[in-house]
Amino acid sequence: MSTVLELPSYLKQSPEVAARLARLKARPVELEVKGLTKRFMTPDGGTVTALKEINLSVHRREFMSVLGASGCGKSTFVRIVAGLETPTEGEVLLGGKAIRGPGPDRGMVFQGYTLFPWLSVKQNVMFGLEACGSSPTGAESDALQWIDLVGLAKFADAYPHQLSGGMKQRVAIARALANQPPVMLMDEPYGALDPQTRGQMQSYLLQIWENVDVTILFITHDLDEAIYLSDRILVLSPNPGQVLEIVEVPLSHPRSPEQFLSPEFLATKQRIEELIHPNKHASDDKLPMIRLTKVGDDVN
Amino acid sequence: MRSPKESWFAISRQLSPGRAAVLTAWSFLLPLSIWCVVSYVPFIWHPDVKLEVGSTGATVYTAGDHVGKDYFPTLLAGARDENAGIAEAAAAGEPIKGSSRDNVKLLRMVLPIAISNGVLTPADDTNDAAIYGVWRRLATGDLVMSSPALSEENLSVIRDNWAIMSAISETYDKSALEKQKLLSLIPQGKPANPVYLPAPHEVLIQGYKSWTEEPAEGRSSMGERLRSSIIVVFGGFLLAALVSLPLGIVAGSYDFFSKLTEPFLDFFRYMPAPSFATLLVAIFGAHQSPKLALVFIGTLPHLCLMITKTTRMLDPSLLEAAQTLGSKRFHLLRKVVVPGIVPAVYNDLRIALGWAWTWLVIAELIGVKSGLTEVIDTQGTRRNFDQVFPVIFLIGIIGFATDQFLAWLRPKLFRWTEPKAPGLMGRWFGGVQNWFEPVLVAYRKG
Repeated sequence: MSTVLELPSYLKQSPEVAARLARLKARPVELEVKGLTKRFMTPDGGTVTALKEINLSVHRREFMSVLGASGCGKSTFVRIVAGLETPTEGEVLLGGKAIRGPGPDRGMVFQGYTLFPWLSVKQNVMFGLEACGSSPTGAESDALQWIDLVGLAKFADAYPHQLSGGMKQRVAIARALANQPPVMLMDEPYGALDPQTRGQMQSYLLQIWENVDVTILFITHDLDEAIYLSDRILVLSPNPGQVLEIVEVPLSHPRSPEQFLSPEFLATKQRIEELIHPNKHASDDKLPMIRLTKVGDDVN
Repeated sequence: MRSPKESWFAISRQLSPGRAAVLTAWSFLLPLSIWCVVSYVPFIWHPDVKLEVGSTGATVYTAGDHVGKDYFPTLLAGARDENAGIAEAAAAGEPIKGSSRDNVKLLRMVLPIAISNGVLTPADDTNDAAIYGVWRRLATGDLVMSSPALSEENLSVIRDNWAIMSAISETYDKSALEKQKLLSLIPQGKPANPVYLPAPHEVLIQGYKSWTEEPAEGRSSMGERLRSSIIVVFGGFLLAALVSLPLGIVAGSYDFFSKLTEPFLDFFRYMPAPSFATLLVAIFGAHQSPKLALVFIGTLPHLCLMITKTTRMLDPSLLEAAQTLGSKRFHLLRKVVVPGIVPAVYNDLRIALGWAWTWLVIAELIGVKSGLTEVIDTQGTRRNFDQVFPVIFLIGIIGFATDQFLAWLRPKLFRWTEPKAPGLMGRWFGGVQNWFEPVLVAYRKG
């Protein structure tokens, strides 16, 4: 195995990054997951362990990603944190208190947008505010500010079916943030978007996060996305979902797309790839299974 | 606008609105033209003969009766044989003695044809003096019938009879008719379809008549009947909707209510609603109430189950999103479930309204027959199918028009739903507009 570029260790942090991470860890723990295990019953009577013994502390204003291959239980994990599913063992603490069921203190952004199609953009953002007891006029002025923050002021009266996927997801973020939750959970929010829109949305999210005091737990299977956005990345193994490592991202802030090619970025990516696919290169040797005839350029 | 190369038969592809409208028009014109062809082209089908002149032989037929095409020659032969016997006896100088009763009957056989020619009126049915006058005028050629005309054979019978009758008396004298047995008229008629298939124009005329005619004393007019039928359909339907909506929404949202209601409703819907008819009459009396109740129980279980299913199909992630935004219990039901399912429930209700119309006929037959169904029942029993068809069509047209109206209204009510291809009515109007477009353009040019 030879690498063209000699990469630094992913553990090597510049003084600036190290200082930032130290400050981050000194902040109080906002979200704590203790010994979380989730088992499902299968139709034939057996059990499947989706998540096993997960422990995690997310500090205030931290951007934490949960990364893993499809089927490693990362969606189950975030749904348990949201309170939409119950853990088999262990517990989730928010601000030191155990969570019970879903609530407005953990705003959630889903992959499928989940905007209410019968409500305009403004009414969608007002929904949570009114559900939590705001007066209609107060909710409306708050909602307009959040819509402005995600750059959709012109579309306040549009209906979701008139918006593009990226715009819908921005409305969903504004809606989740409107209740000013301490934690925002994002379950593969950009999974359905095309690569260009996805890149834009990542930048938007970082900009929004700069301006809002919120802790983000971001679920993704995209390595680049996780590294580009996060302070730390929780890498999960599949079957059962277990913590492989919590990787500290050695990139400086503010983030910019140029960093995708920096040695620190590549080193981190290489490390995570090793974690997720430990036997990748071994299995590569067996391929291809079908022998193909070489087709040259001189095909008529 | 549309490429001329596009095939009419591209698999699972939508046709252009213009083509769709053309086909929509044809979907109505085809059955209508089949009906017209069968009714108006004489050599197609027409298994009967509709008599213009009846027969007095062994079997009595009056004008307007239908006889089989195969039997008609037998009927003719019978009348001709009888006349030949009478003529033979007269020639031999021993004319057969007649009875005034039979001869009066024979005279009156010209009445229907005289009525349809406008010479006499139905009130003249026993005005034998006037009928006698018609015979005289026909025999002398003073009067010529045209709609329908009398056959040459019958005219000669009339002349022969008149010769006998006028020799005795120029004016009507019942006793004089006893002298000699008169020749009988020969049955005459036109090819016709069975009574159960009246021609389109007969249905139209009868339909118009039954709407404009003053009803007989103590009977309802068509307008009143229609109103009564609409009350039964919409009353039963609205009651069913009123019960089904909350029940269906709650059962679709909470498994508790689903398990509590659905199994019984599943069972209940297999008990045919009409089987409760006598029971409903016993409970609610014989007038409108049991009819409403029948439409109600015929519609309720299906509608309830359908709304339950529709509610269950609401995207669960919308409910999850709402919960993470702080929505709970009743707020969740009122602000997410209800608005989320309304467009689909609207369609459910449209379908259920169709069921309500199908229950109408059975409902109106129970207890005291009423509404439009009473016309279908009584006129159908009297074989007046030209009066039955307009009522059947009326029910169809009202049901169809209501449904199309509701379909057209839907996007206007639920503006957040994705715009879909226009429905039948939208396409129809679009198509009509397309046809007139060249005319309009030409008109504007000059």
